Amino acid sequence: MDAIQQAFVIESRELLQMMEENLLQLENSAGDPEIINAIFRAAHTIKGGAGVIECDFIIEFTHVLENVLDEMRSGTITPNRELIEVLLACSDHLGILMGCVENDALPSDEENKTSLSLRKQLQHFLGQEASESKEIVVADPNIQTSGGGEMETDNWHISLRFGPDVLRKGMDPASFLRYLNEFGQIVHLTTLPDAMPEAEDMDPESCYLGFEISYKSDADKAKIESVFSFVSEDCVINIWPPHSKLADFIQAIDALPEDSMRLGEILVQCGALTQSELDKALAAQSTTSADDESASQQEQSPKIGDVLVNQGAVTAEVVEAAAGKQVKVAQKKSLESQLIRVQASKLDQLIDLVGEMVIASAGANMLARRSSETALVESTSVITMLVEQIRDSALQLRMVQIGDTFTRFQRVVRDTSKELGKDIELVITGSEAELDKSVVEKLGDPLMHLVRNALDHGIEGPEARVAKGKPAQGTLKLNAYHESGSIAIEIIDDGNGMSREKIFNKAVEKELVSANQTMSDNEVFSLIFEPGFSTAEKITNISGRGVGLDVVKRNITSLRGSVEVESKEGVGSTFRIRLPLTLAIIDGFQVGVGKSSYVIPLGAVVECIELSEKDRADTAHRQYINLRGEVLPFVRLREQFEIDEAGGKRENIVVVQYAGQKVGLVVDELMGEFQTVIKPLGSIFKNIKGIGGSTILGSGDVALILDVQTLVALATVQQNRTAVAEAVKV
Amino acid sequence: MKTILLVDDSTTILLSMGAILTKAGYVAEKASSADEGLTKLKGGLKPDLLITDLNMPGMNGIEFIKEVRKLPTHKFMPILFLTTESQQSKRDEAKAAGASGWLVKPVASEQLINTIKLVIR
Repeated sequence: MDAIQQAFVIESRELLQMMEENLLQLENSAGDPEIINAIFRAAHTIKGGAGVIECDFIIEFTHVLENVLDEMRSGTITPNRELIEVLLACSDHLGILMGCVENDALPSDEENKTSLSLRKQLQHFLGQEASESKEIVVADPNIQTSGGGEMETDNWHISLRFGPDVLRKGMDPASFLRYLNEFGQIVHLTTLPDAMPEAEDMDPESCYLGFEISYKSDADKAKIESVFSFVSEDCVINIWPPHSKLADFIQAIDALPEDSMRLGEILVQCGALTQSELDKALAAQSTTSADDESASQQEQSPKIGDVLVNQGAVTAEVVEAAAGKQVKVAQKKSLESQLIRVQASKLDQLIDLVGEMVIASAGANMLARRSSETALVESTSVITMLVEQIRDSALQLRMVQIGDTFTRFQRVVRDTSKELGKDIELVITGSEAELDKSVVEKLGDPLMHLVRNALDHGIEGPEARVAKGKPAQGTLKLNAYHESGSIAIEIIDDGNGMSREKIFNKAVEKELVSANQTMSDNEVFSLIFEPGFSTAEKITNISGRGVGLDVVKRNITSLRGSVEVESKEGVGSTFRIRLPLTLAIIDGFQVGVGKSSYVIPLGAVVECIELSEKDRADTAHRQYINLRGEVLPFVRLREQFEIDEAGGKRENIVVVQYAGQKVGLVVDELMGEFQTVIKPLGSIFKNIKGIGGSTILGSGDVALILDVQTLVALATVQQNRTAVAEAVKV
Repeated sequence: MKTILLVDDSTTILLSMGAILTKAGYVAEKASSADEGLTKLKGGLKPDLLITDLNMPGMNGIEFIKEVRKLPTHKFMPILFLTTESQQSKRDEAKAAGASGWLVKPVASEQLINTIKLVIR
């Protein structure tokens, strides 16, 4: 069995399993079109694959199966119990046939009998008319008896007028000419730019060209026609074999939009007609004109002939037959690397084990150092390095691009905006940013909520937009980027924005804040994430009943992330979600306060500075220092976590950053980088601010992982209070 | 080297057509769904030709062709779609959506390469 056969069997077995599940579901869900469609698609794909590996016994079998499913899809056959029974048997039988492919064997007589009996049963559902009968090919209606003699040339003549959409469908007119030269020779070619309009009327994306081609080839007509099969519907194409009937020719010339006199000359130029033939033709034409009592003697007047007869020669059936003849052996060699599907639970288990290994190796490393045996220290440090690489690769396995999650919203935006009568375009950027699969899965709901929210409440209807001088089409942007160990996801709309006043008043009304409170814009906007807050005057089925945004916030916070909003009334809003890249393992920076150890996620650490004696004296009663001319608010971990032990001689500040805000954390000791597995804290600790989890150190001690986000928020609030207090004093 | 983007939910088709194309000296990019294909195109992939299946779960081939034609960078890219003998109505629909031409399944390697030669240089 070669690689393609193997791929086919694996894929088909998956499809069969899916088919079976769907068939079982169909029994309970009375003809759900989605399910029927999925079953049909499975059979269809198996048949297609069987065609590729030329497995006739599967093609034959799936052909009938596909027909039945197709009828079921179009509603002609309703899936009753009896039919589902047969279909399930078919699915089982296909499984057996797959076994034959796997063993490179033909089905046994027994199996062939089963195939036959199942096919009969299926045909029974199709009714009697579903026999083997094929469409009868209608005989060529284009036999003409009218004379005029044969043309003298022994070249083919091809007359081409391209339709205006040829370029827009990705075809290059020149490519047909090039392709003609593959099995013949273009003897003469005249380009007809006659259809080209004046410059100002010209659409540069439309095609106005026509060609008259004299062509020498041994190919038959079907072969030449097949060259143009893709454009046969949009273009006027006439192909005359050598020594065609002159009368046909003349009729076609009449049918073309160009001046027939001029065309005649071109054809003479091409060598398709001799001058004497042209004279005869024109004479014949003028006679017909006279007969039609179109009194004028103008031979030039273009006349619409019986186009249908000529075009009858280029019917789709003929083209298809030509293409069908070419169907030959499919090649199946060399293969490329493909994806392997792995169960998510296996990956989770691997990550867990890697986590344990990280801890164990840290322990071994520490003991080795304590022993001061150089060789041992060296070998453990190699192990540590390898463990680090394994950890990274293992985590990488779970990383997926966010793009797929984003593109899902194309459909949502299209459908929802249609439903709301709005015109909204979705722009996606940063779709290659990667994050942990488990995070992506949990991100779907909150993201959906925010997108719908923006569509429903954010972006206005087209009239309202135009009235405000904005383009009628609204834009919703989804953007993602990496930022110091976390990923930021933005949902940006260019809609109405939020009204600070409206939100504030509403919050006062709901008693979330007091009326005389002074708040920054961001603080006011953050109120929309409070439970029970909703300013929507109208409840719609798109964005729910105002139970929304607090749930979004809760979901995101449970992923150790945050959500914030920026908005400008009349201009639009930006919701920004920040999430850690992974949930399991982080690079940490270990610090000590008193006898306890704490771990700060390394991605958040900007720098470490010493808090000198002088600084300590200066900052005894305030919560900020001057960091190279900038105000840096800080939090003393000793105070924050109420550690009673006396401080050491020295103190350090670890500068951390979150969401663009820098804050210092005052600690005693800096212990260095260290990779760590996050263990969740028990629920009794959930109200402790500033702690995000715990971890086990190599020594077996427990260290707490700091929640930088909360600490930053805490420090900022403190600093604002101090600033206000000082301002009041002044 | 010409790049061709293959979009089909069937691994068998991706694998076999990919092998034929590679052998003929083309670079075969693959996507197993329309969404994935669209992401690749939006991510800056500029193939010389796109070959897509019509019948796929999720976004179907016809919607996909429409979406691709909406991208200003891929407005004139040739698009071939895979179809079966019996799907004339689908064929018209796909052409109307902006496809350049079609390939009848199962696609023989000679026919595939010939058709590709017809639409790209």
